[in-house]
Amino acid sequence: MTGKVLPVAKGIVALALVGVVLYATFHAVQAQQTQTPPERFIAPVDVDTAGLPGPVQPIFYRHDVHAGQYEMDCLYCHYAAEVSSSPGLPSLDACMGCHLLVGGGNPEVAKLREAVNEGRPVEWVEVHKLPPFVHFPHMRHVLSDAEIECQDCHGEIERMPQVYQFASLKMGWCLECHETEEATTDCTACHY
Amino acid sequence: MGKEMDRRRFLKVLGVTSGGAAAVGCSTGTPEKLVPYLVPPENQIPGVATYYASTCRECPAGCGVHVRVREGRAVKVEGNPGSPFNGGKLCARGQASLQGLYNPDRLRGPMARGADGGLAPISWDDAYARIVERLGSTAGDRVAFVTGNESGTFDRLVNAWLTALGSQGRLVFEPFGYEALRYANQQVFGVDALPSYRFAEARYVLSFGSDFLETWINPVQNTREFAEAHSVTEEGMGRYVHIEPRMSMSGINADEWIAPNTGTEAVLALAIANVVLADHGGNAPSDVFRVRQLLEQYDPESAAGVCGVPAETIRRLAAEFSENSSLAIAGGMGNQHDQAHAAAAAVGILNYVAGNVGRTVVFGSDPDPGAGSTYRGLADLTQRMRDGGVDVLFVHGANPAYNAPSGLGFGEALGQVDLTVSFARVLDETAAHADLILPDHDPLEQWNDFEPRAGTYLLQQPVMQPVFDTRQTGDVLLALAGQLGASVAGRFSAQTYKEYLQAAWRTRQNQLGGRGVAFDDFWAASQQAGGVYQPEPTRAQRLDRNVGGLTFSSWSGIAGSGDLTLMAYPSSVFYDGRGASRPWLQELPDPVSKITWGSWVEIHPETAAEHGIVDGDFVEVTSAHGTAVAPAFLYPGIRRDVIAMPLGQGHSELGRYAQDRGANVYNLLSSEPTEFGGLSHYQAVSIRATGEHEVLASPAGRSRQMGRGIAQSTTYEHVEAGDAHPFHVEHAAEVPEAIEQVLDEWQAAQDRERAIGNYAGDHPRWGLAIDLSRCTGCSACVTACYSENNIPVVGKLGVQRGREMSWLRIERYFEGGEGDEPLTVEILPMMCQQCGHAPCEPVCPVFAAYHTSDGLNGQIYNRCVGTRYCSNNCPYKVRYFNWWDHSDENSAAHSFPEPLHLQLNPDVTVRDKGVMEKCTFCVQRIRGKQNQAVLEDREIADGEIMTACQQGCPADAITFGDLNDPNSAVSRLSQSDLGYRVLDGLNTDPGVTYLMRVRHTVEE
Repeated sequence: MTGKVLPVAKGIVALALVGVVLYATFHAVQAQQTQTPPERFIAPVDVDTAGLPGPVQPIFYRHDVHAGQYEMDCLYCHYAAEVSSSPGLPSLDACMGCHLLVGGGNPEVAKLREAVNEGRPVEWVEVHKLPPFVHFPHMRHVLSDAEIECQDCHGEIERMPQVYQFASLKMGWCLECHETEEATTDCTACHY
Repeated sequence: MGKEMDRRRFLKVLGVTSGGAAAVGCSTGTPEKLVPYLVPPENQIPGVATYYASTCRECPAGCGVHVRVREGRAVKVEGNPGSPFNGGKLCARGQASLQGLYNPDRLRGPMARGADGGLAPISWDDAYARIVERLGSTAGDRVAFVTGNESGTFDRLVNAWLTALGSQGRLVFEPFGYEALRYANQQVFGVDALPSYRFAEARYVLSFGSDFLETWINPVQNTREFAEAHSVTEEGMGRYVHIEPRMSMSGINADEWIAPNTGTEAVLALAIANVVLADHGGNAPSDVFRVRQLLEQYDPESAAGVCGVPAETIRRLAAEFSENSSLAIAGGMGNQHDQAHAAAAAVGILNYVAGNVGRTVVFGSDPDPGAGSTYRGLADLTQRMRDGGVDVLFVHGANPAYNAPSGLGFGEALGQVDLTVSFARVLDETAAHADLILPDHDPLEQWNDFEPRAGTYLLQQPVMQPVFDTRQTGDVLLALAGQLGASVAGRFSAQTYKEYLQAAWRTRQNQLGGRGVAFDDFWAASQQAGGVYQPEPTRAQRLDRNVGGLTFSSWSGIAGSGDLTLMAYPSSVFYDGRGASRPWLQELPDPVSKITWGSWVEIHPETAAEHGIVDGDFVEVTSAHGTAVAPAFLYPGIRRDVIAMPLGQGHSELGRYAQDRGANVYNLLSSEPTEFGGLSHYQAVSIRATGEHEVLASPAGRSRQMGRGIAQSTTYEHVEAGDAHPFHVEHAAEVPEAIEQVLDEWQAAQDRERAIGNYAGDHPRWGLAIDLSRCTGCSACVTACYSENNIPVVGKLGVQRGREMSWLRIERYFEGGEGDEPLTVEILPMMCQQCGHAPCEPVCPVFAAYHTSDGLNGQIYNRCVGTRYCSNNCPYKVRYFNWWDHSDENSAAHSFPEPLHLQLNPDVTVRDKGVMEKCTFCVQRIRGKQNQAVLEDREIADGEIMTACQQGCPADAITFGDLNDPNSAVSRLSQSDLGYRVLDGLNTDPGVTYLMRVRHTVEE
């Protein structure tokens, strides 16, 4: 900064110039994008379920389709992760928000609709389980300055047809990160 | 039902899972199910607590509560800070209301008595049909309905419902009905009402037997106001004199205890009033001439002979009483003998001549914890039943088959009633005789309102889905009305009780300040505040013109068969017995005797010696009406010619925790109503040692301090003179040089450690300051701690073996009391002192006990291997070992039988067998607030973190905060001249500072 004040007219011209340059750049980028589209992830239609790691769930709900192909935000379903210790589990009501209309031909969606019609909740098998003497505040991690992504602990969920436990979730694994990030390693931070 | 089960399973998973899961570690080895909601409930985020405002219905006081709800289940009951009564505080009974909701012995659906005499489940429709059929063939005047105190819309619904049936058979029955006080006020002031007692403005309290810190009117409000008005200020210090043959918990908190001859309160009060009027009559209203002649008959000298209180004491009390902003109260046991109305009337006159009426005794708001109930009403109904005058009887919120002398025979009289319908939530003694039981919702599941005094309209709202297949009685009555033909149905437009309640609130919306607001908004706002609190109406009160003609007598019961007088007093823990089904209350040591899980007989040590009785010897107490057997508790705080037993135990029903436990003291009482329509709780008795003995189920060790200076006190005289100094225990032995060197090295190591990792930088040091002048020993903190920290109950045998898990205990010590020496009782809440140099830490071989950077003695349950070295090395004995598997449902020691496990706080680990546990200043609350503050990018404010004990304490005796912040409240209190740390001679550097109790004693 020179400390000189631009006369108003000159300022407008300068702003306009900046605008033109930006516009041109934007178009160039866009043009480039049209030329080579990014590889958009398409989840495979058929999956060999027998070979998949992780527990078999009562409904073959596919994170790779929802979070991968359709790029749904994790927080759409796990709505509490930024405000609570618990990430939140979507109610069947939330599933039906879309599946009232879409996916009718899919036999797995049919299972969901049947459960909702019968007023019977789906009993998912827990994949990431901490022992009861550990208190893990999701919100402190999701919103931490360390910029932790969900995938850092849960793996590439958006590519998993069936979710499996990615990290060991052992205390040493927790501490590795806490030490590098210089977060607390006090026992009572998690154990109480 | 299916949906209900699924919801509960879901809660089980999200909540604290049982100990078994701990072994699994961090794998998916055991499949655990996550069950989502079908439709998410409003305002609920998993992992985040929601608070609902409601009203406590454990006693008739009407305290506001905030119920903490996690994942759709109530996990803690706390005081509503907006309530003018309890101001965010809550007593032990209120805290334990959670165990009413989750009581494992709650009736899970309607029951009917079958042909074989047993109770069997029945459908709601069938139950309704039976009642409708029977009512159809019964004349209205042969229907009766007994309730407890239900002041409010439900009360009016019951009356309207009975009226529609053509019945006038309504009876309100509260075992402690304030009959004497109302009767006396009628005589003295011409009004059948109670005033409100303004403890906040009373710097001098003269209690004639009133247990105002325990059960009387609103003990939480009384405690709050008393603690404030009694404390040391620039103007001086309040003073409290307790007059009762027995030193109750309230009496323990008095600056002076006077034990007059039993039943002579009236004469004593009149003699004091006489001196007040004669010597200090300046404040007396003009119409005291009406009593002048009456009072002149009671000169101190002759009164001294009757009461056994020296005339000079009477004169001194009178002088003190008139020199201060004073308040005399007659209540509690002072109001329970057959001349109690005389005592109450005399105390009313005493207040009047001292000019207190209109200042500390204010008429107008008519609080009525007894809701107009009289014992005589119950006796009359029982007679009617026995005479075959009642065909259908409904019983709601009352248990007369237990709460009345056995000689009345209410239970047997139920046999003469054709159809008895009980709305009991747990099978009680009355329900055990009923033909139909239609269990009511718990108060925490109900829509309701409550009006404990004029101008106060409290609301209750359901904080969660009903736990069982119960129905609110209001809904049942309206449903029955709908089936009882047009003449009845036509009178009720509401289909549900909630509609009925809202209609009632709609009509009073304008009156309650909701003018110009949509009803829904008014309703929501009222619900959120827990009700509408208007200023109490006041009314000037003059003496009744006939007051001069009153005659006064003393209780003459001692002339009966026995050689001792029994006082059967309401338990500060169970009240009239309704709390006995709550395991937290059973395990809560009585503030005076420290005994748990049973009854006892309080006997003066000298009387006991005459009978050859020692602590724990079973004593058979015999009156003209029956006998009761309980172990002896030798108590120097009782007259030699008096024994005392708490009411509340000795249930023949009421679920697993109460049944067949302790002695039923009602067996000993006369069933004859007194002149004022009440029940005499005094009885002439004789005692005999049965020869059996038990170890008292008491967690207290020695009742003497042996010079250790644990609970310290001083007098106001010393405080004023500036020479009140706590006593410090010094070690006489010289520290050897080698030890000195080790300590230095250890200190150097500590300093080095302070520069690395978590310990580097600035940290808070959490600490507590406990003002013993405020602590009344009421033990609300103890139950709050049980609730917050998932502390298991260990049962009677466990306590007898010294295995109780009470992280926070109230220690009680006797001082003096031998021979003619006056007795003082010292009390002190004892929890982990979070020592700076903690003896427990270096001895732990696995670092389960360690020092956190913020000054706590951390206890890491999953690291603990149970060597118990820490406990052995703890000088305060505040570490508790899990000898049994309290969390395992297959264990005999299981403390949380379904659905009691729903009470567990999901923020706190449920500990397993073999693990040491203790207080960590509610570290889960500290971490919770710290997380919140980081996310909101701010510092934690002083007072923002509250430990559970501090939050519950009605007297505000406990202050929590950062000792490293010189401006925090706890720092300032810890610097007080009265502050001391227990056993500080051991160089443990505790984080808890106690402020000596100050007694406002006077020299004769």
